[in-house]
Amino acid sequence: MIQRPREFGWWHEVVLLLLLMAVVIGAGMFVPKFFWSLTQQLRLSRQMWEVALLSLGMTLIILTGGIDLSVGSIMALSAVSFGIVFEASESLPMSAVSCLLVALCCGALNGALVVWLKLHPLIVTLATFAAFRGIAEGVSQGAHYSGFGEAFRGLSHDNYLGISIAGWSFFGLVAVLTVMLTNTSWGRYLYAIGHNESAVRFSGIPVDGMKFSLYSANGVLSGLAAIVLVSRTGAANADVGSGFELEVITAVVIGGTSIFGGRGTVIGTALGVLLIHQTRKFVDLYLQAAEWTPILIGCLLIGSILVYRACSRDSK
Amino acid sequence: MISTFVKSYEFVLLAVIVSIVTVVSVVDSDFLLPVNLLDILTRSSAPAIVACGLMLVVLSGEIDISVGSLFGFVATVMGILLSTDHLEFPLLIGIPLVLMVGLLIGLGTGVLVTFGRVPSIVATLGLLGVLRGMALLVSDGKNIGGLPVGLQSATKVGFVGLPLGIWVAVFVIAFTAVMLKWLPIGTRFYAIGSSNYAARMVGLSEWRLKLFAFAYTGLCTSIAVIIDVPRLPRIEAKLGDGFELLVVTCVVVGGVSIAGGRGRISGVVLAVVLMTMLRPVLTFLDIGAEGEKWTGAIQGVFIIAAVVGDHLLTRFRSRSRQGNIDANPTELEGEPS
Amino acid sequence: MNRLSRFLFCLLLVAIVGCGSEDNATVDPTVSGKELTICVLPKIKGIPYFTSCADGAREAADELDDVELIYDGPTDGDARKQAEMIENWTVLGVDAICVAPNAPDVVANAMKEARDEGIQVITWDADGTKDSRSHFVNQATAEAIGLAMVNAMVKDVGGLAVAGDVVIVSSDPTSDNQNSWIEVMKPALAKTKLNLVTIKYPGENSGQALADAKDVIKKYENLKGIFGISSVAFPGAAEAVEQMNKSGEIQVTGLSLPSEMKKYVKAGTVKSVILWNTPNLGYATIYAARALAQGKTLSEGGTLDAGRLGELDIVGDNVLLGDVLVFTAENIDDYDF
Repeated sequence: MIQRPREFGWWHEVVLLLLLMAVVIGAGMFVPKFFWSLTQQLRLSRQMWEVALLSLGMTLIILTGGIDLSVGSIMALSAVSFGIVFEASESLPMSAVSCLLVALCCGALNGALVVWLKLHPLIVTLATFAAFRGIAEGVSQGAHYSGFGEAFRGLSHDNYLGISIAGWSFFGLVAVLTVMLTNTSWGRYLYAIGHNESAVRFSGIPVDGMKFSLYSANGVLSGLAAIVLVSRTGAANADVGSGFELEVITAVVIGGTSIFGGRGTVIGTALGVLLIHQTRKFVDLYLQAAEWTPILIGCLLIGSILVYRACSRDSK
Repeated sequence: MISTFVKSYEFVLLAVIVSIVTVVSVVDSDFLLPVNLLDILTRSSAPAIVACGLMLVVLSGEIDISVGSLFGFVATVMGILLSTDHLEFPLLIGIPLVLMVGLLIGLGTGVLVTFGRVPSIVATLGLLGVLRGMALLVSDGKNIGGLPVGLQSATKVGFVGLPLGIWVAVFVIAFTAVMLKWLPIGTRFYAIGSSNYAARMVGLSEWRLKLFAFAYTGLCTSIAVIIDVPRLPRIEAKLGDGFELLVVTCVVVGGVSIAGGRGRISGVVLAVVLMTMLRPVLTFLDIGAEGEKWTGAIQGVFIIAAVVGDHLLTRFRSRSRQGNIDANPTELEGEPS
Repeated sequence: MNRLSRFLFCLLLVAIVGCGSEDNATVDPTVSGKELTICVLPKIKGIPYFTSCADGAREAADELDDVELIYDGPTDGDARKQAEMIENWTVLGVDAICVAPNAPDVVANAMKEARDEGIQVITWDADGTKDSRSHFVNQATAEAIGLAMVNAMVKDVGGLAVAGDVVIVSSDPTSDNQNSWIEVMKPALAKTKLNLVTIKYPGENSGQALADAKDVIKKYENLKGIFGISSVAFPGAAEAVEQMNKSGEIQVTGLSLPSEMKKYVKAGTVKSVILWNTPNLGYATIYAARALAQGKTLSEGGTLDAGRLGELDIVGDNVLLGDVLVFTAENIDDYDF
């Protein structure tokens, strides 16, 4: 292992953490019942795990300089597959498997178009964003699927130390990805691809393979998020996941990942997710006006970049 | 010149449009009736106008996904300024104000991107939310009716024969085309997009161009609102939802490269007509109630096909023209026109 | 992480754990000091239909000194967001939650959890699953709505003897409400000489609804009527008929607020508008919720004292508002919503 000079690279995350604390403390002065109560916070935490999981995959993709706008639509198509297979078979495992398989195919399609046809990820995923949800609507013919049973609901509602399985999976994934990104060559290649893809290619590293597997894995992650969401809401249809892509990208960017790639951490993204969740709850519980949510989150998004720019200029 | 045209991307677009029209006309010849064709062109006016602005943004290497929310916000503002139920400003004052709102917000976006150094995807993502929320707050859950009758009839029926939208769209398209081809500012756009570094070496100021592009897009959005919204029954805060997807798609399908530096306005206009045509085509093909639920899928798959097709065509053309095996053309593609 | 940040992190944990020792499920008086907090959750916040219901709810809350009204809902009609809002309010410990569910299954669990915490949960406008709420303030069944529309259309085209094509313009393919009405309308139409040729799904997009309606007018020469079964589709269809100069030839009916359709009714394009008294619906909902929150029982066969509405009948677990209303040129001026 290379001995790096003793420099602290986690400033962004520290600032985010302080900001998060400030928001929790500040918002708590208005609604102490929620913000300063661990029980209540944990209780509503299950509302954020799908976005949280998705933002981890999105972080990796954005780190390599790509983007994936189709995650919400992949959720829709895989949720519909889940519903259809369940209706036919009454078997949860089969439904879950087909859900993840469909999601994998969607991700693989994205990957193939980006890697082999060398199309720009923004355009590819914009197109698949429209196509996947459209296919979900056509296949389901607008139907809603439900009746998955109490056991399935437990996936999102059974709490171990206050956090559901979905939540623990998220934290587990954060830990695993952080280790992989900081300590393995795979992680270093990822950052390198974001910095200078051609240079990495010339080094003989299988860039195409890595990118393709990232998009495919992101697809599977979307399928997983779909399962969590369907478990939480108890219903599957072609509307599932609509609007998620923007929330996820916002979380990743607020978390400090550069949209151009090469810089960012999974922990930062996790903090970004928490920050957005707390902001939402503030709007829901105090402002009581849903119109303000996109306004505050939009300002948070733009504000975070401006602040980051200002700070990085000072530090130089 | 004919041979250049035939090999061009625009020809392919035109060919696709003609083939689709032919197929539909065989199924139902009513498609070719003037009333239908005119209607499709009227519907294309608003996206075409905004696409002119967005084209400049994409040429300069940026993107703007907030145009839909801006559309909704400007529409709500227009409603409040002009409606008989609200402020009822005279058109002479109201219209310029509406134009100013779009222009200023576009300018603001540009400032964020150039001086704020906020990446355009992020800045416009944030604005998408902010503007949508503002439109909802301002409209207060109510729709706005009562727009001046003159404006309504000009946009619905006409103004010397054609709906106002078509006249204005033609003007904006022509203006943008002239600007890109003959004015110095136009060539600079292509230069900036294809190589920021080289352009800067030559002394082109990219921030001025980008600022202009975003402001122009904002202005175009306002224009689109003025010619399109009075046709609708009334103004809702939700107007423009999904509009950005349509317009960005048209710009890309029209041959403008997202990496900047390539694309012609003729392609964009053809792409707008093509994308707008899809829904009426499906209606005329009479696919039945179940088939109707596949409309979204058909549109989405079509977009994928168009994007893939555009890319394959470009590589084929660059390979055959220059004998070059480089699959990623980085030099200036064709002439601006 | 260096020592400083680790320290800060631990500080954060201590702070949260320290504050979190309360297990809070008791109801605190709200900031305003009012006794009862009632939350009203619409399907979509920001569209005139629900805004008018909210007006009625506010009227009731103002009349009753002990009621604090919270009116909030998803601006995009997302059922998941509805469930989250119910969970939010459960945390706040409100007294009653009135839900207009977009998708009964999706919100059922959240509603049940709220009931487990002692919060009164009722539904209004659309019903939820039986075990998730105690009562349903019912203004019309899907049956009644669908049949009312078909009957209105039959009457408007000139009677059961008239043959021709009809089209339904709906909303999204996934909209539960619209789909349930379509299920009623199909067999009802089968008993008439009106042939349902297609169903269009323009979503909640006003421009798209207008465009789709125009397309079907162009396509189906034997078109006698269009059902606009969403708040966007109905005005869009009426506008399309007017713009195509088919007023009187093609009948348009559907569900909408009388205020939104007034200009079309006056012009003669639309003869019947189906709805019910929406402010009364909101008003009655508050009274029902308040009665339950005060501990009263609303039992089968009894009545609810609903302020200026008098005594409303309770049938089963439904509080009945009254009949479906048909607004026509004669009576539309009597209503101001």
